Amino acid sequence: MLRFIVRRVLGAIPILFGLSVILFMFLRLLPGDPAIAILGQHATPQLIAQIHETLGLDKPLYVQYLNYLGQLLQGNFGASIIDSRAVADTFAIRFPITVELTIGALIFAVGLGIPLGRLAARHPNGWIDGLVTVVSLFGISIPIFVLGYTLAFIFAVELHLLPYPGPIDPRLSVDPVTHFPIIDAVLSGNPGAVVDAFAHLILPAIALGSIPLAIVTRITRASVIDVSNEDYVRTARAKGLTRKRVDDRHIMRNAWLPVTTVIGLQVGSLLGGAVLTETVFGWPGVGSWVVTSIQNHDYIVVQSLILIFATIFLTVNLIVDIGYAFLNPRIRYS
Amino acid sequence: MKRLASLVCLVALIATACSSSGATQAVNGGNLIVGLDGDMVYADPSLVSDGNSLYVAAQVVQGLVGLKPGTISEVVPVLASALPTVSSDGKTYTFALRTGVKFHDGTTLDAAAVKFNYDRWNAYTKGDLQDNAYYYGAVFGGYGADSNIASVTAPDANTVVMTLKAPQSNFLLAQTLQVFGIQSPTALKNDKADTTPLKDNNYAQGKGESMVGTGPFKFKEWQAGDHITLTKFADYWDTANAAHVDTITFKPMGDSTAKLQALQSGGIDLAETISPTDVATAKSSNLTVLDRGQSCNMGYLGLNQSLQSKSGGAATPTIYANKSVRFAVGEAINKQGIIDALYGGQAKIPQSWMPPATTGFKAETIPGYDAAKAKSDLAASGLTADQLKIDLYYPSSVVRPYMPDPKNEAQAIAQDLTAAGFAVSLKTEDWHGGYVSDATNGDLPMFLFGWTCDWAGADNFLNTAFFGYSGGKPNPQFGYQNDQMNTLFGQALQAPTVDAANALWGQAQDLIAADLPTIPIVNSTPPGAYTSKIHGFVGAGNAIEYFNTVWIQ
Repeated sequence: MLRFIVRRVLGAIPILFGLSVILFMFLRLLPGDPAIAILGQHATPQLIAQIHETLGLDKPLYVQYLNYLGQLLQGNFGASIIDSRAVADTFAIRFPITVELTIGALIFAVGLGIPLGRLAARHPNGWIDGLVTVVSLFGISIPIFVLGYTLAFIFAVELHLLPYPGPIDPRLSVDPVTHFPIIDAVLSGNPGAVVDAFAHLILPAIALGSIPLAIVTRITRASVIDVSNEDYVRTARAKGLTRKRVDDRHIMRNAWLPVTTVIGLQVGSLLGGAVLTETVFGWPGVGSWVVTSIQNHDYIVVQSLILIFATIFLTVNLIVDIGYAFLNPRIRYS
Repeated sequence: MKRLASLVCLVALIATACSSSGATQAVNGGNLIVGLDGDMVYADPSLVSDGNSLYVAAQVVQGLVGLKPGTISEVVPVLASALPTVSSDGKTYTFALRTGVKFHDGTTLDAAAVKFNYDRWNAYTKGDLQDNAYYYGAVFGGYGADSNIASVTAPDANTVVMTLKAPQSNFLLAQTLQVFGIQSPTALKNDKADTTPLKDNNYAQGKGESMVGTGPFKFKEWQAGDHITLTKFADYWDTANAAHVDTITFKPMGDSTAKLQALQSGGIDLAETISPTDVATAKSSNLTVLDRGQSCNMGYLGLNQSLQSKSGGAATPTIYANKSVRFAVGEAINKQGIIDALYGGQAKIPQSWMPPATTGFKAETIPGYDAAKAKSDLAASGLTADQLKIDLYYPSSVVRPYMPDPKNEAQAIAQDLTAAGFAVSLKTEDWHGGYVSDATNGDLPMFLFGWTCDWAGADNFLNTAFFGYSGGKPNPQFGYQNDQMNTLFGQALQAPTVDAANALWGQAQDLIAADLPTIPIVNSTPPGAYTSKIHGFVGAGNAIEYFNTVWIQ
């Protein structure tokens, strides 16, 4: 197992290096200039040249890349071109917000998707299965921003049932200690703030979790049906085991494997989906930061964030692979 | 019966009077949540030039002079006790300071503090500081020896004397910018506010004591991307105009739909701007749409008479060098139709190359919508059918106050121009991805563009934004050469008095109107909105708005 982990970690290095080169070149090939984003309507050729000099954008591309790589190797992700804030500092503030949103979405997707999938699998091709299929298609076919605006309109604007926007009401003056809105609300000692933070999470978690919900539901259904038809399941039933025991011990234990893989992969797509959800719901996480940074041609922020996301994605996949071993002892990583 | 009716009327009148007097009685307290169009850039107002940072700074820092609330060009004394006395040659401005003014850190404002601030800006070094402190360089022509400021002296604790190397007619109006807000020298020194690079500058990053001014609100915290919090300053010098609310929280919200829904749901109390297309929805949602009154921008159709060569070769004359063609374009466009369709009623047809409330404005006769005359002017131009095939550029991925829907606006203009006899191809580029640089470098023949005032002076529109020469050459954006106009610009900029300058700006506008080098389309007032519990807000067309008058009920 240790050898497997080391091999995977070492294998990630060329991937990340290649990604850094491609990202660096790709972003600079895009038309546009961060100097114009800084200067706005005041951009003149002279001022643009002055800013290029300060930011080192007047140097050859390979020199710019080597400077960037040198910083990266020292664990320095650089600073924003627009507001000079260190990427690592801003990431430390914004990432917990995105993590909280992602966890909320994952709980929604997994917490609802697995029971729905099991329910559909128990009544294959029946009306319950049909209903679950419709719900799944609904989740996967509606764009996040459409669902987000619609949810906000119905539950916040029209019904005033849930709060909007942001992760917590600023009127509550909760001090950001950990930058996880719910944990900070708990630390504030104000029960109202805790309730408010949870309430703020519901709509964006549903919007972000809608696609994973559909996928988890479908995969669970297919996996459970598949395993249910295995010989050992028939044997277990023939032995007279209770339905619950067959479900828990024989079907789900084996059906978990593909479901776990999909959940792991969904973490990556959830982080990507957060870009839209955070914009729609005014969450100041990493996703909305990516959007504004792309708009501003803030090269350093965009390339560093994508590298960080790639690292997270690789790590999650590794964890999923390791999780396999615990779920299915037959799998060995030799 | 009549007596009874009279009595009922009297009771109703008294009740109405009572209730309205109750509504106008300001209530103290509460937290005001304001949806800001984007995040602040730096917490040192002298280092910013973006609207979001300046919007926040207006609550915290104050200059010697400012603008009367709700106006864009009416200069009033703020930290000065009166408008300055000006020497007859227009070079020396003497300001008497108010007494008893405290900074947010408890230190006292005096002439030495004012001198410290002006000397600090003038000494900004090349690199991070000069790159970001756009306005000081733009207003005074540079830093250090290049600056038009000869000296700032403090002959006594309450007197500041500023001496210019040459008269500068826009001096006083430009000093109303928030970037010239006076900050506490103690705080600036303690937090090493001149540290570069700016990533290590705690003052600019809002990590320490930042933005320490004299305004009705003081800076509390800045959570980048999430919120900026200001709190009421208890020792504010102008007790009659002290803040009503305890705190203001600015929330950056770039998405217009999210902003509108946040207002409708009560998640925010006020939105700095909303999309013009959302005005009707806002009104039907019991929101008050902000009347900003005087416009401080201009959207226009740029016509380039001389396309620049990207390879550095000679410039190529375009059909817009032909005056009849320019007039035909101007007459072909149904501006009112565009305003009605795309600006939610929040715009007017310009009468010059600046909005009417601008200092130095002169109403001119600009060709209006006249499709028949457009056709006859086009015929008189003598152009062939092939020459009438034109490209019209509009920007993508952007919404500007003077251009809320560039694509549809370009389509409307193209339709009008086609009706007049042009064969129009619509082309687009990303705003940051080449459009701005291509337009300003003179690479686009016909393009939608605009200008939001830095200060509401004729110089800021005519010279800075539009037709001022640089290095002896016309602005490549338009390729419009008029040496007589440029001479008038130079004389107006260095006129010893504002009145003398305005007379010269008026003459320059006459010359421009006779040539019609670009087509002014709109002067807009970007709509904002607030909920029914917000009172006392005074909007301004330049978005320099003060929240000390606002209360929540």
